[in-house]
Amino acid sequence: MAARWSSENVVVEFRDSQATAMSVDCLGQHAVLSGRRFLYIVNLDVPTEGHRKISRQSKWDIGAVQWNPHDSYAHYFAASSNQRVDLYKWKDGNGEVGTSLQGHTRVISDLDWAVFEPDLLVTSSVDTYIYIWDIKDTRKPTVSLSAVAGASQVKWNKKNTNCLATSHDGDVRIWDKRKPSTAVEYLAAHLSKIHGLDWHPDNEYILATSSQDNSVRFWDYRQPRKYLNILPCQVPVWKARYTPFSNGLVTVMVPQLRRENSLLLWNTFDLNTPVHTFVGHDDVVLEFQWRKQKEGSKDYQLVTWSRDQTLRMWRVDSQLQRLCANDILDGVDELIDGIALLPEPDKTLHIQDSEPQHSSGHADEEALKEDFQNDLLVGRKSDKLGLPQTLQQEFSLINVQIRNVNVEMDAVNRSCTVSVHCGNQRVKMRVMFPVQYPNNAAPSFQFAPTTTISSTMKAKLLKILNDTSLQKVKRNQSCLEPCLRQLVSYLESVVNQEDSTSSNPYALTNTVTPPLPTFARVSNAYGSYQDSNIPFPRTSGARFCGAGYLVYFTRPMTMHRAVSPTEPTPRSLSALSAYHSGLITPMKIRTETPGNLRLYSGSPTRSEKEQVSISSFYYKERKSRRWKSKREGTDASNRPIKAAGKVILQDISCLLPVHKSLGEQYILNISNIQETCQKNASSALAVGRRDLIQVWSLATVATDLCLGPKSDPDLETPWAQHPFGRQLLESLLAHYCQLHDVQTLAMLCSVFEAQSRLQGCVSSLGPFPQRSSNVLSHSRYPSFTSSGSCSSMSDPGLNAGGWNIASKETEHAFTPWCESSPDDLRYGNLTYADHRERERDQHDKNKRLLDPANTQQFDDFKKCYGEILYRWGLREKRAEVLKFVSCPPDPHKGIEFGVYCSHCRSEVRGTQCAICKGFTFQCAICHVAVRGSSNFCLTCGHGGHTSHMMEWFRTQEVCPTGCGCHCLLESTF
Amino acid sequence: MVSVINTVDTSHEDMIHDAQMDYYGTRLATCSSDRSVKIFDVRNGGQILIADLRGHEGPVWQVAWAHPMYGNILASCSYDRKVIVWKEENGTWEKTYEYTGHDSSVNSVCWAPHDYGLILACGSSDGAISLLSYTGDGQWEIKKISNAHTIGCNAVSWAPAVVPGSLIDQPSGQKPNYIKRFASGGCDNLIKIWKEEDGQWKEEQKLEAHSDWVRDVAWAPSIGLPTSTIASCSQDGRVFIWTCDDASGNSWSPKLLHKFNDVVWHVSWSITANILAVSGGDNKVTLWKESVDGLWVCISDVNKGQGAVSAITEGQQNEQ
Repeated sequence: MAARWSSENVVVEFRDSQATAMSVDCLGQHAVLSGRRFLYIVNLDVPTEGHRKISRQSKWDIGAVQWNPHDSYAHYFAASSNQRVDLYKWKDGNGEVGTSLQGHTRVISDLDWAVFEPDLLVTSSVDTYIYIWDIKDTRKPTVSLSAVAGASQVKWNKKNTNCLATSHDGDVRIWDKRKPSTAVEYLAAHLSKIHGLDWHPDNEYILATSSQDNSVRFWDYRQPRKYLNILPCQVPVWKARYTPFSNGLVTVMVPQLRRENSLLLWNTFDLNTPVHTFVGHDDVVLEFQWRKQKEGSKDYQLVTWSRDQTLRMWRVDSQLQRLCANDILDGVDELIDGIALLPEPDKTLHIQDSEPQHSSGHADEEALKEDFQNDLLVGRKSDKLGLPQTLQQEFSLINVQIRNVNVEMDAVNRSCTVSVHCGNQRVKMRVMFPVQYPNNAAPSFQFAPTTTISSTMKAKLLKILNDTSLQKVKRNQSCLEPCLRQLVSYLESVVNQEDSTSSNPYALTNTVTPPLPTFARVSNAYGSYQDSNIPFPRTSGARFCGAGYLVYFTRPMTMHRAVSPTEPTPRSLSALSAYHSGLITPMKIRTETPGNLRLYSGSPTRSEKEQVSISSFYYKERKSRRWKSKREGTDASNRPIKAAGKVILQDISCLLPVHKSLGEQYILNISNIQETCQKNASSALAVGRRDLIQVWSLATVATDLCLGPKSDPDLETPWAQHPFGRQLLESLLAHYCQLHDVQTLAMLCSVFEAQSRLQGCVSSLGPFPQRSSNVLSHSRYPSFTSSGSCSSMSDPGLNAGGWNIASKETEHAFTPWCESSPDDLRYGNLTYADHRERERDQHDKNKRLLDPANTQQFDDFKKCYGEILYRWGLREKRAEVLKFVSCPPDPHKGIEFGVYCSHCRSEVRGTQCAICKGFTFQCAICHVAVRGSSNFCLTCGHGGHTSHMMEWFRTQEVCPTGCGCHCLLESTF
Repeated sequence: MVSVINTVDTSHEDMIHDAQMDYYGTRLATCSSDRSVKIFDVRNGGQILIADLRGHEGPVWQVAWAHPMYGNILASCSYDRKVIVWKEENGTWEKTYEYTGHDSSVNSVCWAPHDYGLILACGSSDGAISLLSYTGDGQWEIKKISNAHTIGCNAVSWAPAVVPGSLIDQPSGQKPNYIKRFASGGCDNLIKIWKEEDGQWKEEQKLEAHSDWVRDVAWAPSIGLPTSTIASCSQDGRVFIWTCDDASGNSWSPKLLHKFNDVVWHVSWSITANILAVSGGDNKVTLWKESVDGLWVCISDVNKGQGAVSAITEGQQNEQ
């Protein structure tokens, strides 16, 4: 393994201390060992003697302990105990508990003193919150970071005072303490739980993470999608920390079957072999820290604490330090630059050897790059979408880590041999793949003679396999891996049934230790690699559709039963798996004994989800989440569970203020408005809108002809200016605005528009309504106070004040019509040479019941109602309403005949050419300019009014102009 | 009375993520984790599968119907980073366009008001928003707002088409001078309002009130009132109603509708913009209505699966 190894320089045993955590103070004088009953303060200069104890009374172990790293506060340390952090003061050989920090609701997983501010301490907890405490005010945390997922590690950045990192299962989040609501960056760092997190001592962007997934990864958090480098290990990595000197890294592994209790020292620029191994501990290394250099000494000391209850100190001399120095590249930055410049490799498939072959001795830069490219390739592959196309590809992608399965693949002969053993049962079968596979051609399955299961079980199994494979190949998807999983789960369920003593299927599955990976992990195409920023999918929803429908879908009843209402739904897709592990792993046990169990509880997180397709991934996740209370949890996936609920369509039109039946029954008869209003009132009665009966009755009264305005303004004040005139109408409109009853609004506007047109207002006003509709009309709404301003002709001085701002806009919009301010009046005076003319214009406005200033508003009501009528399929009603829109409808879109002047060949619109003033299109029969319905021959270009043409060609075949064109024959359509 | 008019068994093999009816309410489109999009004819309480659209390689998150004036067109977006536009031609549904310009899951698609032409906005987890405009002849023009939301964009919703200012400025016969706007919500806890100026999309407003990822935004349909309204919902369980009274669209003020106990995934406005449907992680659908005095009250609680809207009081709602 390592080039060198050494034994410790100092060993001190603290029998029965039961210490779970250790910390070395910043002066290098003391170490604290925290046991359940006592805290031991060890003088590192004379560790064998004179250690002091601080007794504590708690049923909880100490989770994390740390001395304050600032010289002036060097005698303080913090220790977490379940949900609480105790602050201890160590002075003159005596220790006492100061205050406690209380706020977390679940066990605290980690704590870290700020690097720059001596008063700040950050704690992370399973309760999903990260609290930053100011020890001057210990009542509550000063900052609270909400992570949604429980955190396992928290570490301050060593260079940036505001930055900190937390780990959540396989993800890392980077926070800015000034922005507590959300993390500034997410790294989907590992496939499995992260045990250790350490910032680079010199570069503020670089950090190292160590994980259950057997790797240490190095990150620049500015590039969250890909790691800078990876240190693949054979076993899960407990901690990986940078050395205080040069480019070293110390790792501690999570011991598996082999007892590997050494610490490894690496050069981060050559991760092929460790440069040094610290051998000596007999049990798990729980903690290791560096002691401050003694003055005048170049040596460093590594202090370690192990479950073997010994404290050891290891000297790291300058020679050893030099091994960690980088003699290939001069700085970290250069390395990063070099890596960033690497070209993106092709998306070819590539299986990386578990132990890359490298030239012995120092790896050169080339090797480093190659190594990195390999890593990148694996990363890219996991990134690759879609499914394997050929059998060979499928074989190469098969996850070889399925429990108890051995697959011998032979791509040339298109077959493979699968052997599975589970308990005392053994199944061996041969799978043959037809040439067309996987395009709607299923493979065949054949049992080999060594199979031990009964023939009925064989038949069942064959059916399962055939069903599974057919289901997949029908969609041209490959099916080997799903079949393998079905096979294994079926076998496991059989064995579980046989073995009545094993009551808990989880216990069984967890005791089987997965074999150490001998192949590079090929992760799922839809793994958590980038899922941390993809929102958790909606599984229920409701939408209003059409004109009066509500469409909604929810999770099926079976799927949500088991969820406790207190569990929040996770935020992102990647949290799904974290969530999953949180339920399966003994989280509860952790809280009860936050000591030993917490340390090495292996996370089954992501190993479970090496699924072939995303749907099964969801499926399984959901199943284990929602069906966790079911005993047959593991084989639930065999049975078809209805994952899709029903979609329900509801008619909610009764909740809307508009009614389709009213839309059908309402009439708009311009010639008899009185009757229109009365009919509409009875329609409202039919649907039970009693308020509308009153409204239409009022409208009947208001449109009474005897209230019609006189043409001479001097005779009487128009009815519109009466309180029951415009004011009444406007208060009605304001009311229905609040109710969002666009139907009533549009109908009222249309009826009164019709009435005013009937009274001839429109003809005298000309383009008036269009002009007045401007920004002003909108900004005034919905108070409808504008009525006052328009009737203010008699006394314009009254409405100065509030309208001045509006008048600026008015001026800008060239609207001399709105006499709402003295400014406008002056402007008006200039425009109207004749005072009487101005008076008449004003009178025309004043006698209208609908305030002309709000015309655009009224148009919008009609258009919106028109749109609703369209959805109801009432197109004629829509056309009736839209007739009363004052501004022109949208120009025709689509195919249009371009019209060119027959005299001067310029393009024209309308009936007269703008250039030569000739008629653009003259009827060949009556010689009048044609507008409206027309027909013409595409060959000779002659034609005219449709009625004239129809008449002519009823008896004739040639063009009426006498040009000799046989129009009917030429224009066959 | 609110009545269930149809219950559609979609036969999707996995969870459904979205369901929407077309403009007239005659067809239903659904999408699911089984990577498929299905279209049903649901007229007269029936359920006839018209199309089972396969083309996505991951779960399909959302569907959106285009306005029928452009034909029968449906857009879908998926985890596979693709946006697919499907079109019915001669009775069969086919893929007419596939957009692959995003680097991560596409979470939301929304068609612009028909007045603007055929324009689709897509929000993705790569933080970008794409605007796909049909330029005729099978061609689509793409504009991309990169880094619209750091970490990711979760929802997009167009503002209704409103003609600003005076009509006198617009020569007749030309296209009205619309101001195009849409709102988006993302993982930066923000709602952003985007406005097109000289063909470029610019961030006009940033609305900050949520304390966690914004999961959905919905711009209320216009009934002709000058007030603009947006509903937003978030992982933090809060639903806000944002209103803007001024024509320039600069001053938005939030009002908390309700704080739910679980994530709120979806908000949807009724056609008259007076009712808001809210749904989320608690598997419930609630309908909210603004009373005349400006308070939002829960008017019903559509119980999951039971298909009945039963009126409950505000107090009961709070207890739950």
